[in-house]
Order: sequence, then C-alpha cells, then structure tokens
Amino acid sequence: MPASKTPRLARPETLTALGIILVAAGFLIPTFEQRAISALLPATMLIGLIVLSVLLLVSDQRKAAAGEDAQPMTKSPKRVIGAFGLIVAYALATDFIGFYVSTAVTIPLVAWIFGYRNPLGLLIATLIVTGTIWAIFDFGMSQDFPAGRLWER
Amino acid sequence: MYSDLLHALPDVFSLANFAAVVIGVISGIVVGAMPGLSATMAISVLVPFTFGLEPLVALGLMAGIYNGAMYGGAIPAVLLRIPGTPAAVATTFDGYPMAQKGEGGFALQVAVVSSAFGGIASAFALMLLAPPLSKVTLLFGPSEVFWVAIFGLASIIFLLGGNPVKGLISACFGVFVSVVGSDPIYGNDRFTFGQLEMLDGINIVILLVGLYALPPVIDLLETPLKTSGVQSSKLGTEPIWKALPRMKTYWTTWLRGSFIGIWIGILPGAGGSMAAFMSYNEARRTSKTPETWGEGEPEGVAAAEVANNADTASALIPALTLGIPGTAVAAVMLGGLLVHGLQPGPMLFRDNPDIVFGFMWQFLFGAILLIILGGSLATNSFARLLNLPRPLLGSVIIVLMLIGVYSIHGRMFDVYLMLGFGAVGWVMDRLKFPLPPVVLGLILGGFAEENLRLALRIGRGDPMVLFQNTTSLILVALTVAVIVGPSLKKRFIDKKKVDDDAAG
Repeated sequence: MPASKTPRLARPETLTALGIILVAAGFLIPTFEQRAISALLPATMLIGLIVLSVLLLVSDQRKAAAGEDAQPMTKSPKRVIGAFGLIVAYALATDFIGFYVSTAVTIPLVAWIFGYRNPLGLLIATLIVTGTIWAIFDFGMSQDFPAGRLWER
Repeated sequence: MYSDLLHALPDVFSLANFAAVVIGVISGIVVGAMPGLSATMAISVLVPFTFGLEPLVALGLMAGIYNGAMYGGAIPAVLLRIPGTPAAVATTFDGYPMAQKGEGGFALQVAVVSSAFGGIASAFALMLLAPPLSKVTLLFGPSEVFWVAIFGLASIIFLLGGNPVKGLISACFGVFVSVVGSDPIYGNDRFTFGQLEMLDGINIVILLVGLYALPPVIDLLETPLKTSGVQSSKLGTEPIWKALPRMKTYWTTWLRGSFIGIWIGILPGAGGSMAAFMSYNEARRTSKTPETWGEGEPEGVAAAEVANNADTASALIPALTLGIPGTAVAAVMLGGLLVHGLQPGPMLFRDNPDIVFGFMWQFLFGAILLIILGGSLATNSFARLLNLPRPLLGSVIIVLMLIGVYSIHGRMFDVYLMLGFGAVGWVMDRLKFPLPPVVLGLILGGFAEENLRLALRIGRGDPMVLFQNTTSLILVALTVAVIVGPSLKKRFIDKKKVDDDAAG
C-alpha cells in the first residue's frame, strides 16, 4: 500500500471536517435555551452538518488509508496569506485610519506587491479610482465613508 | 396572461432603464473578457451599488452583465486559449485554431452573433414559459411552498454533480445562516451573541460578495496571468455586415444549440458550460465534415456560444416562478431581487408584474444589443482589455467590495462579516464544495421555515398536514426522484454503457 505524503490528520478535507464539527457543536449549545419550535431548523442543520462532516472525515481517511495523496489547497500559500492579510489590513485601516487614506495606499501597495511595478501607471490608477469614488459617492450621493476611529477620539 | 408583458414594455424604453442595459452589456463583456472574473462575481459586486436605484434600472444592469459576460468569455478563449468564463471552455476548441490562422476577428464575430441568437431565443423562452408557470404556482399553500423550497435545495445539491455530501454541507450552512437573527414568529434572538447588527439577520449581499467576489480576487493575486499582449491588427476583423453572409449555414446549429441551452438552463444545477459542451458535441456529431472540427471550424464556435447564451434567461424560469435558480448566476440574481424587496416565487408575478415582465424585456434587448456593442468595432477594443495588469485589477475590486458592503448599512461590522464569508468561500472553492447551495439555502431557508411553521399551525401541529394534498405529494415524489435519480443512473445506465464498451 503506497504511503500518503500528507500526514493523515493534516489533510485539508479532514481538517475542514473537524473544524465544521467543532464549530457546529459550539453553535448547538445555544439551541438548548431556545423554544423548541425556534430551535427546530437550526438544530437540524447543525446536527446535519456534524453528521455530514463525519461522513466527509471517514471518506477522506479512507482515501488516506488507500494511499491517495491529498491535493494541496494552494500552490503558493505565501501569496494567498499575503493577499488575504492585505485585504484584512485594508479593512482595519479603513476602520481606524479612514477610507480615503487607506484606499490611496492600498491600491498601489497591493498592485506593487503582486507584480505590477509601473510607478506612473500606479499613480494614475490610484488617482482615477480614488477620485471617481469621491466624485460618485461622496460628492454625488453624499455617502459618508469611515473617517477613522483614531481621529474620532 | 401575456397582456402584462406588453404593458411592461414602455417602461423598459425609458432613458434610465435602457441606459442600464447598455452599460450592463458593455460591463459584462469587459468582465467576461477578463480570465478569472465571471458574471456571478460581477453581479455580486454590483448588487450593493444598486440599493439606491429603481428596481428596473438595477435589474437591467444585471441582465446586461449576464448577457455580455457570456459573450465576453469568448474573447480570451479565441485569442489566448484561456476561457474568460467556465462556459467558454468549448469555444477554445475551434476559436483558438481560427485565431492562429489569422481568423480571430471572424471567430469573435461568429461568437457575438451566435451569443445574441442564443440570448434572444432564451429571452423568448422566459417570456413564453414563465407566465403560465407562475399561474400554477399561485395556487400553492404553505405546505406546497415548503416542499418547493425542499425540492429546489435537493435539485441544486444532487443535480449539480460532484460530491452530494459536500453539496448537503453547503446547503446546511446556507440554511443555518438564514436562521441567524430574530425568530420570524416569536421574535427571540437566534445566534446573535448580543450583536445588534445581527438582529435583522445576515444580509444576502454580504454573503454573496464574500462567497463569490473574494475568492476570485485572491486567485487573481495568487497566480498573476501573463498575457502575451493582443494586437488588434492581428485579429483580421472586417465589418460585421460583411461577415454575416458567411454565417448563413449555421441556422441548424443555432436552433439546436438554443434548444439545448434553454433546456439546460431550466434544469436546476446544470450551467452554461454543460450546455456549450452538449451543443458542441451534437453539432460535431451531425456535421458533414467532423474531421475539420478542432482545427478551426467556425461552426464549432457558433455551437458553443449559442448554447452558453441560451441558458441565461431560461435559468430564470424556475428562479422567478418557484424561487429555484437554475445556475449560480441566477442564484445571485435572486439575491439582487431580494435587495429590492422582490421575493422570487409565485407572488412576484401578481404583485410586481411591471418589474418582472420589464426584466424579461431587458434580457431580450440585452441580447440584441450584444450584436451592436460586441460587433466589429467593439471587438477590437475589448480584445485590448486582456492587456490590463491583473494585480491592479485585483486591488480595485477589493476597494469596490468594501464600498459595496459598507454602503448597505454604513457599518464596518458588515465588512468584517463579508471577509469571514470570503475566507469560508475560498476554502469551499478550493475543496470543491459547491457554492450555489449556500446561496439557495440562505434564500430558501427562512422561506421554508416560515411556511413549515405556518403549515404546522394550520394542521394544529400534525406533521401529516405536509402530505395531505396531491400537489405536495407530487413535489415529494419529484424531490425523491432528484435525490435517488443520479445514483440510479450511475448504477444502471452508466454501468450498462461500461459493459457495452467492454463487450464491444
């Protein structure tokens, strides 16, 4: 029997199934305090998630036992983590520093880090996007964006 | 029945409504032409921006984007052998060899005319079939509506193909998200954890943007695609009216492909790529010169493109009448309807005839506009889109996502929630968990719960009330057929095929 390269418990589907079981079990606790009819659908779904995840777990472990290697979720984890990290950082910066400053920094920063390194192109794109957003939303539609919690204090 | 259809026509011609379709078609072609972006993603990002718009303007934009993106996917498929959308895979088979022979311009013209033909046929199917179906569904009571919801969920899980366990997990997740917030009858909080922002439940747009827009952005940044640069001078484009006579022999292919696309669109779970493959295979099988297919046969492009556009409006037949979307884009469009207070299902036709019939007209005009906007002049310009730097595109989409979600209620809480759904969506996407059942679960979950509880109240708590009339029993039988059908097919028909092949 050929050995799988990924440790059996570190296979993506196994980890996902275990994660779903844990989270669904956690969400199941508040259903005991709800009215029976209110808890009927959520509890059914959560129990369904647990049962289905157990099936997924068993099926994935059978594949592991048969020596079938798990497909990696990404070929470049650093880029994925970097992309997601930058998006989260942008949301936090918008919340704490303010929308326009964060946007003016994020557009060129993300494009630069991920391979577009034309300073003039970046400058023009940033000005066009930020300016258009301001003209349409702030000026045209009176939409207020976060000014930044840091400055509110 | 059809008088409402004619009554809705004048509204569609108002400047704002018509302009929305034009802008939608152009934007759709742009989005479709970008490998990695899809109509589903574009509509997800667009939906929050339509809050302040009139419903018909918003729906016109969506109809235009859907039509435009299905054709736009053909541009990189023909020029770079990279399908812009999953539905354009079959277009690469003959489109790319044509481009290599210096006939890329003609391939795109065949694609645009075929797409328009398919879109027009699909819009007519929607206009003809949806009104009578809505009359039937108006007779449904709470127990029938509950079973329709269950049937819809079962269809999208089991007919979508892939792993049914993963489909069921997706659906359970979607239904669970739908119950977050206040209980619809008693008003007690469910899973809000003291957050006031959660009391009204989770807005569908937050889920849509998270699931459908964030994962493609991560993909854009993860593997930046290097295009070799497309020059319009190499396309070999001539004016479209000069190219039309060369397409006069494609009528049979267009009619057959339209029929296949419409049928696939109506079936829940199937999509444009399946329609395009089926149409391509059928056209090749019946061709007098099958040996030329795959080496630059324009009829191959026609077969694929007519079918992937013919499933656009028809996917909305079950969506508008029963609340069951035929494709992922239709599921996202249902979200768009909900944003404007339009509950898909039987009541939609009775309560908002001008909007729903106007929407059908917009699909038809969107398809006709494809020829004008996607014709010879625009084709050259759209081809240049492939040279846009993808990291820059990714960063702009991130900003648009944040603006869209923030604008719903003007609070950052929704943005963080969207990022959470985005992370879940990325994992689901990579592990091949289907996303449409999540959206459908969210749309139908609350709907099913409300009607189930109403039916149980009518039946004084007796669950047999759900099985007491013929319509309910038919719906139960259909649900069982949808669940059991694929495994029976696998066991008997596919096994017989394998046995026959082995014997032959």
